[in-house]
Amino acid sequence: MKIWASEHIFNHPWETVTKAAMQKYPNPMNPSVFGVDVLDRNVDPEGRLHSTRLLSTEWGLPAIAKSIIGVTRSCTYVQEHSVVDPKQKTLELQSTNISFTNLVSVDEKLTYKPHPQDPDKTVLTQEALISVKGVSLSSYLEGLMANTISVNASKGREAMEWVIRRLNTEIEELAATARGSIRAPMAAATVADK
Amino acid sequence: MNSVGEACTDLKRDYDQCFNRWFAEKFLKGDRSGDPCTETFRKYQLCVQKAIKEKDIPVDGVEFMGPNKDKPES
Repeated sequence: MKIWASEHIFNHPWETVTKAAMQKYPNPMNPSVFGVDVLDRNVDPEGRLHSTRLLSTEWGLPAIAKSIIGVTRSCTYVQEHSVVDPKQKTLELQSTNISFTNLVSVDEKLTYKPHPQDPDKTVLTQEALISVKGVSLSSYLEGLMANTISVNASKGREAMEWVIRRLNTEIEELAATARGSIRAPMAAATVADK
Repeated sequence: MNSVGEACTDLKRDYDQCFNRWFAEKFLKGDRSGDPCTETFRKYQLCVQKAIKEKDIPVDGVEFMGPNKDKPES
């Protein structure tokens, strides 16, 4: 059993980060995620949005690795449950692997909240619980996996920044188009007056 | 982004577009008025449920899934 935890601050307000988290895939930092599906979604009586999602990943394992592990496919599925509380401004995500559960269990929990001192920033706390089953050297393997999770966490944060930039660019382009379409008829009217 | 069911990708994108707009413009701003996406979600769900069964993906604890639904009452 290995526990890994980290904390990170985004220089963006909570709403921006939450919108980005809901649209995190696809992004260039997580190319192995090839499918994201919503299995269930509802708003509870307290006004919180619950979503259950299925993430499909393909690791592109080389054939030799597949034969060692004894699998014919390398699709891994992760199930994620998230809760967005728009009043308290919290986003909590919990995910667990539903593939290879006989071999390994990886449970991750992420929480996004506004920074207590600065409302324009968001704090992400992230933790992972890893356990490798029925294999000696399991604590060594768990250590390796914790390392991978740490590297992936930093890719995940880069991915969030990438999505935030993309969303902001779309907003700016929309605004520029709106300004352009107001200017054109005004210019035409000016010419017509002369 | 694609769906796990290749045939469901277009339905998924329609739903995602509707959801992302509602999420940003209504839900996060505290507007509790109705969900405009129920119809697109329903169509998308029918497709995904089928794909998950076909691919035998071991989804856990979600209402529509699982052999339990087919077990006779004892």
